[in-house]
Amino acid sequence: MQNSQFVQFASLVMLAIVPYILASQGTMLAGQTGLFIVSQEGVMLVGASVGFLGAFLSGSLLIGLLLAALSGAIAGLALAYFTTTLKLDQFVIGLAIFFLGLGLSNLFFKLVVGVTLQPPIIPTLKAVPIPLLSQIPILGPILFRQNLMVYFSILLSLFLIYFLYYTSWGLSLRAVGENPKAADSVGVPVARSRYITAIVAGMLMALAGAYLPMVYTGSYTDGIVNGRGWLAIALTFLGGWSPHLIFVGSLFFAGVEILALRAQVLGVGLPYQFLRMIPYLATIFVMLLTYKRLRTPAFLGLNYDRESRTSI
Amino acid sequence: MSEQSVVLRRQGLGSVFQALVPYIVAVIASFAAAGIVLAVMGFNVPRAYATILFTSFRTPNGIIQTLIKFVPLVLQALAFTIPLAAGKFNIGGEGQLIAGAIGATTVGIMLAGWPAPLLLPLVLLGGIVMGALWILLPAWLLYRFSINEILTTVLMNFVAFELIDYVATNIWPDPVAGHPTTIPIGAGGFLPRLIQQPPLHAGLLIAIFIAILVYFYTDHTSAGYELVATGANARASRVYGINVRNIFFLSLLLGGAIAGLSGAIEVAGVHHRLIAGIQSNFLLLGLIIGLIAKGNHLAVPFVAFFIAVLEVGASAMQRTLMIPGEMVFIVEAFILLFVLLSDVVRRR
Amino acid sequence: MKQVSPPLLQLQGISKSFGPLLALKDVNLTIQHREIHGLLGGNGAGKTTLMNVLFGLYKPNAGQVILRGQTIHIQSPRDAIHHGIGMVHQHFLQVPHFTVVQNIVLGSRLHNRPTLNLTRATERIQDLCQRFGLEADPNAHIIDLPMGVRQRVEILKALYRGVDVLILDEPTTNLTPQEVDSLFESLQRMVAEGMSVVFITHKLREVMQVCDTISVLRAGEHQLTLPRTQVSEELIVRTMVGSDIDLDESILFAATAPQESSSSRTGPPVLDVQGLTLTAESNTPQVDDVSLQVHAGEIVGIAGVAGNGQQELLEAVLGIRTADRGQIRFQNEELGHCSTRDRLRRGIAYVPEDRVQDGILPTATIAQNSILGVHDRPPYSQHGILKWPIITQHAQHLIAEYHIQTQGAGQQAGNLSGGNLQRLILARALAQPIQLLILHNPTSGLDIPTVEQIYRQIRQRRQEGLAVLLVSDDLDELMLLSDRIAVLYRGALVGHLQQKDFDKYEIGRMMSGVYNHV
Repeated sequence: MQNSQFVQFASLVMLAIVPYILASQGTMLAGQTGLFIVSQEGVMLVGASVGFLGAFLSGSLLIGLLLAALSGAIAGLALAYFTTTLKLDQFVIGLAIFFLGLGLSNLFFKLVVGVTLQPPIIPTLKAVPIPLLSQIPILGPILFRQNLMVYFSILLSLFLIYFLYYTSWGLSLRAVGENPKAADSVGVPVARSRYITAIVAGMLMALAGAYLPMVYTGSYTDGIVNGRGWLAIALTFLGGWSPHLIFVGSLFFAGVEILALRAQVLGVGLPYQFLRMIPYLATIFVMLLTYKRLRTPAFLGLNYDRESRTSI
Repeated sequence: MSEQSVVLRRQGLGSVFQALVPYIVAVIASFAAAGIVLAVMGFNVPRAYATILFTSFRTPNGIIQTLIKFVPLVLQALAFTIPLAAGKFNIGGEGQLIAGAIGATTVGIMLAGWPAPLLLPLVLLGGIVMGALWILLPAWLLYRFSINEILTTVLMNFVAFELIDYVATNIWPDPVAGHPTTIPIGAGGFLPRLIQQPPLHAGLLIAIFIAILVYFYTDHTSAGYELVATGANARASRVYGINVRNIFFLSLLLGGAIAGLSGAIEVAGVHHRLIAGIQSNFLLLGLIIGLIAKGNHLAVPFVAFFIAVLEVGASAMQRTLMIPGEMVFIVEAFILLFVLLSDVVRRR
Repeated sequence: MKQVSPPLLQLQGISKSFGPLLALKDVNLTIQHREIHGLLGGNGAGKTTLMNVLFGLYKPNAGQVILRGQTIHIQSPRDAIHHGIGMVHQHFLQVPHFTVVQNIVLGSRLHNRPTLNLTRATERIQDLCQRFGLEADPNAHIIDLPMGVRQRVEILKALYRGVDVLILDEPTTNLTPQEVDSLFESLQRMVAEGMSVVFITHKLREVMQVCDTISVLRAGEHQLTLPRTQVSEELIVRTMVGSDIDLDESILFAATAPQESSSSRTGPPVLDVQGLTLTAESNTPQVDDVSLQVHAGEIVGIAGVAGNGQQELLEAVLGIRTADRGQIRFQNEELGHCSTRDRLRRGIAYVPEDRVQDGILPTATIAQNSILGVHDRPPYSQHGILKWPIITQHAQHLIAEYHIQTQGAGQQAGNLSGGNLQRLILARALAQPIQLLILHNPTSGLDIPTVEQIYRQIRQRRQEGLAVLLVSDDLDELMLLSDRIAVLYRGALVGHLQQKDFDKYEIGRMMSGVYNHV
């Protein structure tokens, strides 16, 4: 009995890690080239809105996800253009795109759905058990009886670890975030690297958002992201901008989220509002515990101008 | 000597005009861009724009709505731009507003019978203190451990959303309201009205006073100089004897206090009670105002007024033309982007 | 007629401007096969700009590059490397958290991109190390290496890519005299193997020592190119400085050693440091038991390879960092736990090494910058209120007196050139009544007239009785200005020399820690 409760809890956690992994790995990837993105909350909302509407209109979750990824790619492209080509402040541009995302997501929803009393519903993602592996006791149901986005997030994390640390492309990307002038001087294309990672990051963030209406309620509300975008930034910092630790950290973040939910359901004597504060307060607490060990790419948040004459 | 000052003044006027040009261009460009979208969607663009721009000035009610909106907007913008001057980002203005509103309400309900000369200052003070307390943790983490204030201030917003829900549903709930709301505060805690009908509360005077005070502080005092110097280059400021960690801490606390005051004014002037959602979207608009003004404390009140006009116009447009109000928010974000783009043009 | 093979590399009619500033004007330069070509000129003469154009970092406004008789188009460093042109920048372009081999292979064509197996690359690097006498451990992390080794890594980076022309930008800046000699040996080996080297420097003696051909740039214009055997030191100096400077009055090019200062070092020192120790987080002392006195009317120089605790020592004296142990007395008063503000108020002025990062507020106006550190004192502020008219007047006065080239006190300080920035910082320091002036690399990167002006100021103040503590990476500068030189090695003072005992190689030995002091 205890066992099955644990399995149930753990598989819920695996369900909840997806938005954290996707948004944080995206943030991390862009950060490896020195781009510090703060638009997560907005891009995730656009992803949620576009993904939901796409799925609602087409009747296919896949089309919803693809459209969401496209909207995220556009956001990433805009971000890269304003910061890398026009060399505007990354933080301010990130905020501006966050604002736009907030406005656009609700605008899209209102334009397509209009004001209705009965909110539209889409089907949720189905679990796709993997043959044989899903039969393993305990591990099977937790890891191998999940929806495709869960598998995608895990594989993405593994791929990023391999790509960043065991290929020469990864070496080049990381060099851009550590010292773009050094990378440039040996022929690593700095601007192109930043454009590519920004676009991929935007796609991942939008997918993280699109996942939310597709996994729990099947409906969209303007509070659906509820700070997960900001938590993803925190998670990226806490993970020291490395894909391994971000994966571990997302287990923790999702675990806290599910625990707070379970506590509300079970009733632990505390008013539910205080339980819902836990993820945010826990994040601040973990920041306090790990602040000394955190390392960020040396050029994070700074634009690179080849012809700038001040030495770096 | 007098000749020189005339030249200077002429240069001053010229440079003010020069500084305004990118703003005007940005506003026109944003409206043009949004106009195309609206036209494609089949809305009546001239009517929409007339509604957005002139609702505030057509009727006394419009003017007063705008002024009421102006108060939290200018205070939220200042709560952002004061730490910004020191190079720090307070993205927690709405959390501090909520905390301030809770503080004001607590005082207002617990001391409900007290007379106005005592209760009103205490209500406002309750807001200021709670706002500052709400940012105390992020400010202390920054001061003591150099933990990035952006994330901690943002995360405290989400904590505040839950806290206001708790206070409004569990501590002093108003049983007849369908939405988390508290019972009203004592009448002694209401801000007096400047105009009775349509009602305009005296918070406007407080906001204007604070805006002038902040401008004087940052531009004409040596303490303000330290704030600006720290924001311009914290390392150099430290080398030349400024205690930059104190400046960071104090600037955040000041921002939190002003955001808290904005919450108290919303309670004491507008709602006379605590309502979940009292923060509206004031934080985002405050950030946009601060960024459009580029942190210039002389410009902040004017930009805030302009945004207040757009916001009042937006609600009218949504009511009468059925155009989603988000459209105006997008226009505002576009204005910000275009103002930023003007820097690129100037660089060349 | 004998068939003449074209020269290795020709730059023709190169012009480059940065905004309104014309940095290069129609420059022509020819590099022959198998030569060390010295490119000489004061700072701001355009040497680095010219080579950055050649290396594809800057886009020229006009001109062309001809390699072995064929015009080539260089859009980026990638193209330059492809054509066999390598460059070692003055500020090393390395990723500190990568290993030596990772830094070297970065961006190069690896046969095994998806696996990043570096065994073969490591072997090739070891081979190059041996061939050219450049010792470096391929698996060490850059961050752990001293400056001399980091420079070898930078050279290896170019050699690994198989260059025909190697450009070295001010390569001797952070080296001891001994390391300079060994670098020159390596360069000669490269030429022996068929390469050509372009050696950028502002130091006359270095070109005379190692170069086959010498070119001089001044104010963005090419002045001359001659074989070393056909030039005299005097000709080169005159070409470098032009008519801007009266050579007979010059401090920088003075033929004879300066007279010893007349100050009799009696009375208590202005600054008296005893046993100052500052420990880093890693528990290795950054400043190790330093004792030091500076008297009125004397310039005390501190030599050392950059990164041996210079900045930490100065910041401890100023109270920017807190020392773990030791005493600092200023004018007979223990500074103890005085804040930086208090120390400045008592009469210490500081000119930091990093002008932009530590010295100014780039986005603020010159007027605002002119009171940094004294903003809370009368007459600039009274009862906490800033007196803008007085501040503006003060700034205008500094601009006039120190010849700061700007449109006015309302201009952004960040737009000033390096030389004007340094004049502003120095002016600000000297405008107040002070007893001790602390300077860190006060002339690095500045053009010759500015250097002259700053030297003159420092000397004059010394004559008027100011105590000066001068920390510099430039040994020539120290030997020119100081009355005494102390040498800092790994945070400790390892030697003390009086002016009459100054000897470059002796100081060099101390700088590299091989000197056993009693």
